[in-house]
Amino acid sequence: MTKPVLIIGGGPAGLSAAHALASAGRKAVLVEKEAILGGAPILSGYAKLVPSHEWAKDAIGGMVNRVVSNPSVEVKVNSTVQAFTGTPGNFVATLKDGSTVEAETAILATGFTHFDPINKPGWGFGTYPDVVTTTMVEQMISSGKGVRCPSDGRVPDRVAILLCAGSRDRQIGREWCSKICCTVSANLAMEIREMSPKTNVYIYYMDIRTFGLYEGEYYWGSQENFKVKYVKARIAEVTSNGNRLLVKGEDTLVKRPISIPFDMVVHAVGMDPNVDNMTISAVFGVDLNRWGYIGKQTTYAHLAETSRPGVFTCGAASGPETIDDSIAQGHAAAMAAMNFAGMAVRAAAE
Amino acid sequence: MPIHEKSLIRPENLVTHDHLVIDGMDVSGHWSTFIEGRSITDYNENLQEEIAALPGGENIHRCWQCGSCTNACTVNAINPEFNPRYWIYLIRLGMEDELLRDKDIIWQCVSCNKCTYACPRDVAPEGVMKATAHWLELKGHTPKSPSTIFDEGFSAQVFQRGKIEDGLVLRNFLQDTGQPLRQPWLETMVLGLIRRFPVFYLIRLGLSTVFRPKTRGWGRARAAINEYVHEVEATNRKALGLDAKGAE
Repeated sequence: MTKPVLIIGGGPAGLSAAHALASAGRKAVLVEKEAILGGAPILSGYAKLVPSHEWAKDAIGGMVNRVVSNPSVEVKVNSTVQAFTGTPGNFVATLKDGSTVEAETAILATGFTHFDPINKPGWGFGTYPDVVTTTMVEQMISSGKGVRCPSDGRVPDRVAILLCAGSRDRQIGREWCSKICCTVSANLAMEIREMSPKTNVYIYYMDIRTFGLYEGEYYWGSQENFKVKYVKARIAEVTSNGNRLLVKGEDTLVKRPISIPFDMVVHAVGMDPNVDNMTISAVFGVDLNRWGYIGKQTTYAHLAETSRPGVFTCGAASGPETIDDSIAQGHAAAMAAMNFAGMAVRAAAE
Repeated sequence: MPIHEKSLIRPENLVTHDHLVIDGMDVSGHWSTFIEGRSITDYNENLQEEIAALPGGENIHRCWQCGSCTNACTVNAINPEFNPRYWIYLIRLGMEDELLRDKDIIWQCVSCNKCTYACPRDVAPEGVMKATAHWLELKGHTPKSPSTIFDEGFSAQVFQRGKIEDGLVLRNFLQDTGQPLRQPWLETMVLGLIRRFPVFYLIRLGLSTVFRPKTRGWGRARAAINEYVHEVEATNRKALGLDAKGAE
């Protein structure tokens, strides 16, 4: 009997890999650090997803259900891998509770960590209660309570969304573009305008990267249908004039210093490498890339290979990734894992 | 001139003290010259909505500041200060003071509509310029332009009788714009008419200065037009937060 494939991480990528393996008649063991499956969209309480506008709990919840109810997948929540030994085809993982799992191959679907804007102190997060993150706004919407200023619960008149919080910023060691924040911010801006038409939403950007098919629906749509205003600016700091937040910076289109009052400031937080990546790297013996994500060996030949044969990766573990692409990569990693196992069997047969 | 080549220092922001001593150091005259800050703290949040409420300004919110309008602009080629993209941006962000600084050139738009064809976003900048000029006028920032005075006098006669009498249009225009009635070009024209026109026409012209020409059965049309003009005027004024006032 063939051994199962060990999948680390129960977010969109891990769930999709598990489902793909089970669909192909293979067994999988899914290890999740948290108490529930679903990854960032569920754990962080996302509202409606881009681009389908389904609620995260419905869309990702559906993925969770079909994995949990699949007899070919063994799910272990509240669990982490402490040690990982052996060779491809004969790996042994030791879990937190001391139990062991024998696995043929492993897939690291360990995802990312939201950028903590406390690391961008000039932008006021942690200093002023009404400076929040896109994740917090998602939670305000998904909880049904609506967008309110945390300080006193009022509906804000003016909301500023600051793009690239923790992305494309060498000053704080984050050179990458987190890909999806522009689109997510445009989507949130539209939702805020829809819930509270009197709230004016401004998006401060250096470039708008609503890539691919998102341009029309999100960038254009937010302007044409919801009158969201985009200002090309570099934000220097977020302070307060005593009763409102003050966003200070430089309007780079008209080359003018700006100092604009707001009721709520939203950081469009990017995707940091998973904070546990150093541990994951040590336990699984895989290299990280120079940004701290799990390194991939090749770009084209095999999508999912890490530096250790028999260990694959998918989703945001190897760099900022969208949910739909993470799901596609989960399938790719499952395919790579099955292909790898098949090669070992063929080699043994010869 | 692109926005970024515009001088960022306005003369009125240069400050020099003739007599100034700081910490015992005499810095009178040009030694104390400094430039006042350019930060804006006062915004008119409703400016975009006000312009959008006037005919022509409806699509202003679609602008993404590409600058195609300014590049295509006929007037900009002659007067680099004429910059539709810049004004549209100011309006969108509510920088009213900044906009008013250019109030004396905004009306110079010649309505060639090259910007309308160049605009990738269907903003119709020509319409926005028209709406902005209208806004300036309604808000009392600019006096009525001669062409507006002409249009109003002309329209008033049409509304009243369905026809115009050229002599009256001309006389009212010269009066309302404070110009003398005796204009050399006018005298030349009238003398030319008297010399060359058939007597029959001259009699008709003369009679019409006394008995104004009128379209038969104009009463109902007049009522409908007046009602419509009042309605539009009231809507526009309300959008700008002004008191209701009838059509002139």
